[in-house]
Amino acid sequence: MDQPTLKVENLETGYGEVQILWGIDLEVPPGNLTTILGANGAGKTTLLRAITGILPVWKGKVTFHGEDITHLSPHHRASLGLVMIPEGRMIFPEMTVLENLEMGAFTKRARAGLKENMEYALSLFPRLKERLEQKAGTMSGGEQQMLAIARGLMADPRVLIFDEPSLGLAPKLVIEVFETIQKLKEEGVTMLLVEQNVHLSLALTDYAYVLAEGKVVMEGTGEELEESEEVKKAYLGA
Amino acid sequence: MLSAWLGAVLSGILLGLLYGLAAIGLNLIWGVMNVINLSHGAFIALGMFSSYFMAKYLHLSPFIGVFLVLAMGVILGMVTYFVSLHKIISAPELSTLLATYSVSLVIIGLGTFIFTTNPRAIDIALGSVSVGGTVLPTTRILTGIFSVIFTLWLYYFLYKTWSGKAIRAVSMNRDAAELMGVNTTMALALAFGIGVALAMTAGALAATIFPFTILSGGGYELKSFVICVLGGLGSPLGALLGGLILGLIENLVTLKIATSYVPFLEFAILVFILIVKPTGLLARR
Ligand SMILES: Nc1ncnc2c1ncn2[C@@H]1O[C@H](COP(=O)(O)OP(=O)(O)O)[C@@H](O)[C@H]1O
Ligand SMILES: [Mg+2]
Repeated sequence: MDQPTLKVENLETGYGEVQILWGIDLEVPPGNLTTILGANGAGKTTLLRAITGILPVWKGKVTFHGEDITHLSPHHRASLGLVMIPEGRMIFPEMTVLENLEMGAFTKRARAGLKENMEYALSLFPRLKERLEQKAGTMSGGEQQMLAIARGLMADPRVLIFDEPSLGLAPKLVIEVFETIQKLKEEGVTMLLVEQNVHLSLALTDYAYVLAEGKVVMEGTGEELEESEEVKKAYLGA
Repeated sequence: MLSAWLGAVLSGILLGLLYGLAAIGLNLIWGVMNVINLSHGAFIALGMFSSYFMAKYLHLSPFIGVFLVLAMGVILGMVTYFVSLHKIISAPELSTLLATYSVSLVIIGLGTFIFTTNPRAIDIALGSVSVGGTVLPTTRILTGIFSVIFTLWLYYFLYKTWSGKAIRAVSMNRDAAELMGVNTTMALALAFGIGVALAMTAGALAATIFPFTILSGGGYELKSFVICVLGGLGSPLGALLGGLILGLIENLVTLKIATSYVPFLEFAILVFILIVKPTGLLARR
């Protein structure tokens, strides 16, 4: 058995006095696509914020390639190759597309491969190539999402975490996002995906967790969950 | 008559560039950190004293010493950030406003105690240059040139270096910058350090033209606020332009009215712009 790339054990956290997560266990094996499903407000973004370190962990442990990172600062985690494409894209609006991509390669690790990663990212999203000098904030929502993904790839991720990348996109662009994720999966990129788009995610994923009210209520392979009555009931309105 | 106008325009431009430089530090700190730095004037005064003592005891020309002042300012500003702002940087703006006001009280208080409020002047004689019939002191010309150099340097730093880009990224989205691997605490400290350093630099240059006391930064602080409102917050070149406009207005108007009305005029401009276009006269948004 390979050591998991990312491992979360009995994690608890919240905001102020309010506890949101109640003992989460989760593993992301190398080369796999792992998915977290759950309704709005289930705590998915909170979990990712704890994994990336933006939100301090109250209890439990986060390990990355066997190293305990529970108390490392977010920028330190990023420098280890733990990379998140955050909810709401969070591109730098007053910077050009090119500068946004460069910022993706800010860490020492990533700077070394800046050129190749830039070529690769632009080959995935040729539309960005035509707009390198444009201010990122003036692009459409779909283009900004592509930029956010490309910026994540610039970081040379050892695990790439997506928080609802298809949120608010037109159907055609949703498909494009999932095609990109599939491509990355075929290339062996280790990924952790948070999505509300149950069908598309389960079709692609190796393994999935279902989160509800801050707890993992179900887990299994993509097929297992796709066939599960409970998932259908909870998400597909059947 | 014509040469009086020409003289006013020329010295307005030269002084305006200096005002612009003074405003840029305030502008940068507000733009990156959303902190209104009420210790701005106090640091300008500290810059004047630094330059004065370097000239007096190290026999350094102020135009060489100014680079030392810049370096000292970065360090002093970063220390000030960690002592007075770091803990409250995410608190509402009133907290940081009060914190920088306290810093100002400390500097002015200690400064008054140590240096008294007797005016001093740097002993520098570089002669003058005659342009089209008007005579301009060389120090004024040099301060104008140095102001442009420091502004361009800041521009280069913010747009062409990794640290500068990190500071800009932090100003747009702190969490996202942290996720990209930017140590945002250090970026904020550095931004404050550079803001303070530019204020001190402007003070160091101003001290080659005018006599000063520990209280002299106050006037420049008011000008800096007016300029930030004129030029819009967040762009160094906007601040330089705002400084030029203010310098020109001041120098042209004082051909007709007494210099003592200038602060009143500046305040009137500030209020006028805030009523007419609160986002800044030259701002895009
Ligand atoms: N910054 C915050 N402060 C306080 N509560 C928050 C904050 N962000 C999210 N929450 C609360 O935490 C819970 C989980 O939110 P979140 O993790 O964003 O859910 P999801 O991403 O699954 O939609 C929700 O009840 C939400 O109201
Ligand atoms: Mg969410």
